[in-house]
Amino acid sequence: MGKVIYNPDAFQNVYQNDECIGFSFEFKLQYYRGITLSIIRNFDVTIDGTSIPRENLRVTVNGETFTMDEMRTVIDPAYRWEFGEYGKVTVLMPGGLAPGEHHIHTKQVIAPSYMPYQIEANCETTFTIA
Amino acid sequence: MNYDIKRSVSLYSYQNAYYDGVLDLEGCLRETAKSGATGVGLLAEQMIKRFPLPIYTDEFRAKWFGWLKTYGLTPSCYDAFLEMRLYDNRTLTIYEQVEMMKRDIHLAKLLGFPVLRTLVSTPMEVIEGSLEYAQSEGVKIGLEVHAPFSLNSGWADGYMEMIRRTGTKYFGFIPDFGIFSKNLPDMLREKYRRAGAKEECLRIVDEAYAERVAKGFVKIRYDLNLGKANMEYRMANGMQQMMDAVKKAGGGPADLGYASDSFAYSWSDPKDIEDNIDYIFHTHAKCYHLDENCVETAVAIPEVVEAYKRAGYTGYLSTEYEGGTETNEFFHTDDIEQVQRHQEALRRAIEG
Repeated sequence: MGKVIYNPDAFQNVYQNDECIGFSFEFKLQYYRGITLSIIRNFDVTIDGTSIPRENLRVTVNGETFTMDEMRTVIDPAYRWEFGEYGKVTVLMPGGLAPGEHHIHTKQVIAPSYMPYQIEANCETTFTIA
Repeated sequence: MNYDIKRSVSLYSYQNAYYDGVLDLEGCLRETAKSGATGVGLLAEQMIKRFPLPIYTDEFRAKWFGWLKTYGLTPSCYDAFLEMRLYDNRTLTIYEQVEMMKRDIHLAKLLGFPVLRTLVSTPMEVIEGSLEYAQSEGVKIGLEVHAPFSLNSGWADGYMEMIRRTGTKYFGFIPDFGIFSKNLPDMLREKYRRAGAKEECLRIVDEAYAERVAKGFVKIRYDLNLGKANMEYRMANGMQQMMDAVKKAGGGPADLGYASDSFAYSWSDPKDIEDNIDYIFHTHAKCYHLDENCVETAVAIPEVVEAYKRAGYTGYLSTEYEGGTETNEFFHTDDIEQVQRHQEALRRAIEG
């Protein structure tokens, strides 16, 4: 039995002014302490075999939303991604995902300062959009 | 020699239960007390949300010291992380790093910890630049000695030189029991077996490890370029020959993964503890897997604890169960049970 990485109840299409602008999911970082967003180097997201451009991702922690590039300077304690807590990722993708089963693979890339290399964690699951 | 060896648990040990939401910070303290330990080690960045802000508040500290009183625990060691690459476009200046180190020393003091653990990546100038403050706060800085590093090595000599030059009493070493691994952990082997490693290749790696233990590891030297020193260390300890043998036996990614991971473990002569006892004031008693008889499958606990007794050690042996990172993808490990077994193993070794 593996550990739970993705929140099974959080996969959903995202609407703005009645228009579906993408979908969102929640997951936990595969590292053992809370970190500032600034040491997250990348989330490499693939949905149903299609790679999502980095600029189409938005990350929401403690009610504030950042682009991946903005995260590079986010160090305030208010926006730490706490150990064991879910953070939300929104994938901008007009129309979102069709109802039914989908597959997601995300490579989390984190760079703790003391390590001579970056940590990479491959996180995948299947989920259903209602 | 008279010794007074105390037992502690680093809350790092409960990372799986914390991640799963089974234990919160107070729950970890409760389990620590139930394991029989009287000391507790903390990674503030792991279990204190919005780090470091709550630590500065009377409200949080009242809660923290209240829990310690309730569960009869004494703070042993604060594990710090010097995030010197906070931004991806530069490394913090030495001044900034010293300020961060001082912040952490102060946080350790606020929570009652007499020792702060720092990592091998901390520049010497940052340690030296923090010594006066450490002394004023009454918090000792301990450098973790984690495989592939070891005591009585060129690497350790670099720090001994600094200790002698400054005459400081506020810097020393925190041995990690991973440097006393007589075998590779059985869980590590099982992980690679499940990932498709061949029995023959697993055997080649195990035999190469046994040979390193028998012959004695060639020690790592002091070098600011840790990657370079590490590669020289691996080569001097026969990595190339082992890798060649694994490849020749048809080894794939899983086999090579096991071979490479084997260098994260090492065996030092426990006498190293006696030789360096004046500079050892805390210990991370790392463990990987204890069977139902409370016997650790990799670390030679009784032999190592005997060396601590002969040395007259008066500090903590603090359980640091590694389970989470070794076995994440493959097993559901019970960290609460593993800590209890490890505390029992330590108790037997100390009292035996």
